[in-house]
Amino acid sequence: MDTKTKNQKAVKDAPAATLESTAEMLRAPAAAPLVPMPLEVLVPEARQQTPAVRQRAQRPDCRLHGLGQTKYIDDMYLPGMLYAKIKRAGVASAKIISIDTSEAEAMPGVVAVITGKDVPCNTFGPSLKDQPVLADSRVFHAGDGVAAVAAITEQIAADAVEKIKVEYEILRPVVDPLESLQLETPGLHAPNPNIYGRKIIKKGDIEKGFAESDHIFEASFRTQMVEHVPLEPHASLATWDANGRVTIYSTLGRITLGRADVARTLAMPMSRVRIIATIVGGNFGGKNEITTEPVVALLAKKTGRPVKCTFTRPEEFISSTTRHPLIMDYKTGVTRQGRILARKIRLVLDGGAYCSWSETTLGKACILSAGPYNIDNLLAEAYVVYTNKTMTGAMRGFGAPQVCFAYESHMDDMAKALNIDPLEMRLRNVLEEGSLSPTSQKLHSVVIKESLIQAAERFGWNANGNGAAA
Amino acid sequence: MKAFEFVAAKDAQHAVALLAQHGPTSKVLAGGTDLLADLKFSSHAPPSVVVDISRAAGLNELKMTEEGLSIGALVTHTQIMQSPIMRDQFPALIEAAHTIGAVQTRNLGTLGGNLVTAVPSVDSGPTLVALDAIVTVLGPSGRRSMPLAEFFVGPRKTALRHDELLVEILIPKASVGKPTAFLKFGLRKGQALALVNVAGSFWVDWGKQAFVAPRVALGAVAPKVIHATSAEAYLDGRAISPEAMVEAGRLAAGDAKPITDFRASAEYRRDLIAVLTKRALEGAYELAKAKRAEQK
Amino acid sequence: MATVTMTVNGEKRTASVPPETTLLKLLREELNLTGAKLGCDVGDCGACTVIVDGKSVNSCLMLAGQADGRDILTIEGLATVEHLHPIQQLFEEKGSLQCGFCGPGVIMSAKALLDENPDPSDYEIRDALAGNLCRCTGYTKMIEAIQAVAQAKNNPAARKSA
Repeated sequence: MDTKTKNQKAVKDAPAATLESTAEMLRAPAAAPLVPMPLEVLVPEARQQTPAVRQRAQRPDCRLHGLGQTKYIDDMYLPGMLYAKIKRAGVASAKIISIDTSEAEAMPGVVAVITGKDVPCNTFGPSLKDQPVLADSRVFHAGDGVAAVAAITEQIAADAVEKIKVEYEILRPVVDPLESLQLETPGLHAPNPNIYGRKIIKKGDIEKGFAESDHIFEASFRTQMVEHVPLEPHASLATWDANGRVTIYSTLGRITLGRADVARTLAMPMSRVRIIATIVGGNFGGKNEITTEPVVALLAKKTGRPVKCTFTRPEEFISSTTRHPLIMDYKTGVTRQGRILARKIRLVLDGGAYCSWSETTLGKACILSAGPYNIDNLLAEAYVVYTNKTMTGAMRGFGAPQVCFAYESHMDDMAKALNIDPLEMRLRNVLEEGSLSPTSQKLHSVVIKESLIQAAERFGWNANGNGAAA
Repeated sequence: MKAFEFVAAKDAQHAVALLAQHGPTSKVLAGGTDLLADLKFSSHAPPSVVVDISRAAGLNELKMTEEGLSIGALVTHTQIMQSPIMRDQFPALIEAAHTIGAVQTRNLGTLGGNLVTAVPSVDSGPTLVALDAIVTVLGPSGRRSMPLAEFFVGPRKTALRHDELLVEILIPKASVGKPTAFLKFGLRKGQALALVNVAGSFWVDWGKQAFVAPRVALGAVAPKVIHATSAEAYLDGRAISPEAMVEAGRLAAGDAKPITDFRASAEYRRDLIAVLTKRALEGAYELAKAKRAEQK
Repeated sequence: MATVTMTVNGEKRTASVPPETTLLKLLREELNLTGAKLGCDVGDCGACTVIVDGKSVNSCLMLAGQADGRDILTIEGLATVEHLHPIQQLFEEKGSLQCGFCGPGVIMSAKALLDENPDPSDYEIRDALAGNLCRCTGYTKMIEAIQAVAQAKNNPAARKSA
């Protein structure tokens, strides 16, 4: 008997009481066998081309994705689970005068409400601990959470959030990073200074380099704030056990860091915090630090029930981290053959409302800002400043894409002005085997020249008449 | 979404009765691509009742009548795109429908809904205005009709009274088969809001090689869809030439009242109007020539 | 409460939900069919795409009441216990999905396309997927997979594993 007939017979023959469950099981979609992993593990020779290159890789998870069977956090449900929503400030800069949660608490279906005061240690962050779980005295950007509600349905939680009344003393927001850079601007984040990170790289003597240059070019470049827009919004689900340990299922990428931050904000030992990173629907850097995790943990503790919180799409834009906008000022001295003799760079990173991953971004941006070029005389000064805008944090590249846009555009502009082929301009300056990086690291396995030349051949750079500049 | 009641209307009359019964806090639901999207993150009070007309009888037919082409208000954008009548007589309407949203939203979204939401950049508006379309609404006291250009009153505002339902869009007999082209400029090829919409339409006097009954309708550059009146006046009876089309574009840009916002400056929009008007007129002319060749 | 009866993946299903419940929420929370995803809830991202009466729609933009009496196909209705649907098979072979969140929506859009247009051009495939946002893959492998499904359908003799 074939499977279909067999199943139809099973449904027909099943006693009435079990019909529902049998039918339910038959509805279950294909649970195909797992794709077998290769049994031999290839161990590459050190310092040799890894044999992984040019191998066909398999994604075993593709099967369950295609079946719609992959369970993301929003697909997870624990019995008795409550839904949490967070109230967002909606104002860029303010003092919180009072928060009245009484009407929300009284709503039928609302099980608990918390504010910043309920957070045992209300500061955290990957480097500077300047970010609150829920803002309790000061709002630094419109996406700041000021209160959170756990209710039996998501809609009730959202309705309750609207009933929370917050009294603000509105302060003038600072949105221009250059304004924040001026020391006269009142401290946005007192007692932290506006400029909350700086990195300076000095190599050689730029004044000497500029003096010896035939031409000096100056240009300023700006990039915009970018949001990761992972298809899956941020989400977490917390549940406590009888021994006072919390398990949090989360879209979080860096779970060891998350564990430390949850332990810190909840003032509990790390050994009592378990974070399970689930299959994530896109991260790109935006899910590198905790967002809702301490909130769901606290609400779950207060209510005695599992609590799940998912960001709405608007919250993804205002309350999750974004890519740093950069203001990049370049001054480059070159010989008439296009050899770079000196470069002076100032970077101003719009560091948003909280530090998040700004220090890492600052470091990368600064180190990479000179570009992959041999520059004997270099001064790169990079600053990150607070503004009352969406948090800026990690996003694919961590500062590298922004400066790349700047130094490559700059190279093209200079090549055009000097009437040198843009490719030639690169070849004359690019790092080589044994070159020193801006921070004087000796570089090996440098194949930029070879790659550029091969690439140029492949897409016919010279054949298209792209050789000579206009 | 916040709670509301749901009631399904059997036909247009029933819908109107329900709207009258439930008063101004009730709202009509057809495709849901505008209403539900608006309600999702709204902090305003929800409608008390949603009157679902998505399966109301008699409102989704597309047929040629004595008066012209009758399009039921519930005709979806996909239906328009797949209609042989549209393909033969009004390819510009297919073009316009295709620029709306994406497949999923076109399968749900209705022509009536698109017109009633009446955003200044309404994509189905300019072509219908250029074709002198007439809309009919049904109310407690019966039907009334008016030109589409008058139906649009302002941003998100139409002449529709609360207890009325848009039931039909008619393209009058005189406009059936009129060579028309529509162009939309958005920041993406799909799921984009129009920076500028242009529809150009005219008959050709083949003897004089002149524009007859020219229409240029602009969208997204005024509080509602407008006629580029100086362009139309200029073209009327004039000999067809590339220069005339360029000049019409220039005049249309002057007729437009665009704003500057984060998507584009008013200046850029005017520039687009000038270029797109010329192209729409060129497109309509190509269509006219092709039709004439077919008839020979 | 709105009581709706629909055919879902070939089976008659009934649910009783608040009237403001979307079809998406109904599928996910009442019927435990969590394949359709909530990505934006306003019909922009397409992660909620299902097929209703043969047409792909954003299930977040339909109310439960509007689904009454209709025929609904979700991602869970494509495969059988024995076989993956060809689109699922080719998506796996080509490696078309990464995080997978957009996957069910894309596959439903692809199915709706191929049901109506068995031999779509590259442009027609892109047009059909315009309402499904993907942040991971850049769509290339999805388009290849859909083309392969179309070719296999039209030329079964030529069908070989990737």
